[in-house]
Amino acid sequence: MNKQQFLNRLDQSIQALSKEERQDIIDDFEEHFAFGEEEGKSESEIAASLGSVEKIADELLAAHQTEEDIMETTSNNTAKAVAITIGLILFNLMIVLGPFLGIVGTLFGGWLVSVSFVLSPLLLLINLVIYPASFVIFELFVVIGLCGLGLLIGILMFLASKGATYLTKRYVQFNIQLVKGGV
Amino acid sequence: MKGSAWANGVKAMNIQFKKGILEICVLVLLDKKDCYGYELVQSISDKITISEGSMYPLLRRLTKEGYFTTYFQESSSGPARKYYSLTNEGQMYLHEQMKEWRAFTKAVDELIEEGVSGE
Repeated sequence: MNKQQFLNRLDQSIQALSKEERQDIIDDFEEHFAFGEEEGKSESEIAASLGSVEKIADELLAAHQTEEDIMETTSNNTAKAVAITIGLILFNLMIVLGPFLGIVGTLFGGWLVSVSFVLSPLLLLINLVIYPASFVIFELFVVIGLCGLGLLIGILMFLASKGATYLTKRYVQFNIQLVKGGV
Repeated sequence: MKGSAWANGVKAMNIQFKKGILEICVLVLLDKKDCYGYELVQSISDKITISEGSMYPLLRRLTKEGYFTTYFQESSSGPARKYYSLTNEGQMYLHEQMKEWRAFTKAVDELIEEGVSGE
């Protein structure tokens, strides 16, 4: 096989590559032939020591293939992650945000009630300091009762807040996982 | 069937093996100085029997992976030469590969020693 035959066959076998890349490869081999000839070797000798055209083409195509695969999967995955992110944002805004704010509001209100009930004896005390004559035993019992109720509500709110925090954390983690899982 | 699958496996392993060795040879040669393709091919084929053509896909792959950069230089005689130059990344990669190679040859040497003394 002479130089032209070798180069033609190589070019034929790597048609899957871009024109520039093929030209670049052919240039490399032309250079190789030129140096070989300078050392006094014949074209067919050089072609023989280069080895099989098919094998060289296979190796060139294999390198090209893996590169393309990697690019394709990463771009696919990025697109998927972006789609999931947008979907999650819309879903969260439209469906999750309302109930979430509702729960947060309820918890906040509960805490407020609890704190004010617990502090109600203080109000009675202030009342007594300002109007010492207005003391009524009934009020004292009401206030002590409210204080106890406030403490109970406080315990309930504490548990509810803990649960809500846990669920929120889990939900956020689930969202992150969903986006990451696409990658 | 089983025999041919095994033979194919061995063949595939040998190809991978040779590729790895060629890679180290090229990296080592370029660590000393920039070389052009034909020079690299000759330096290696002087010592190891290779299909010279498979050096070019190897050089292209390592260039794409960022281990080499290339530049052209006119020479007083003959065509312009495409020189390959080792990058910092390439140097790091070479050190990794050499470490692996040393560990590997040491293990093989030990096995050979054991085999010889066991005879």
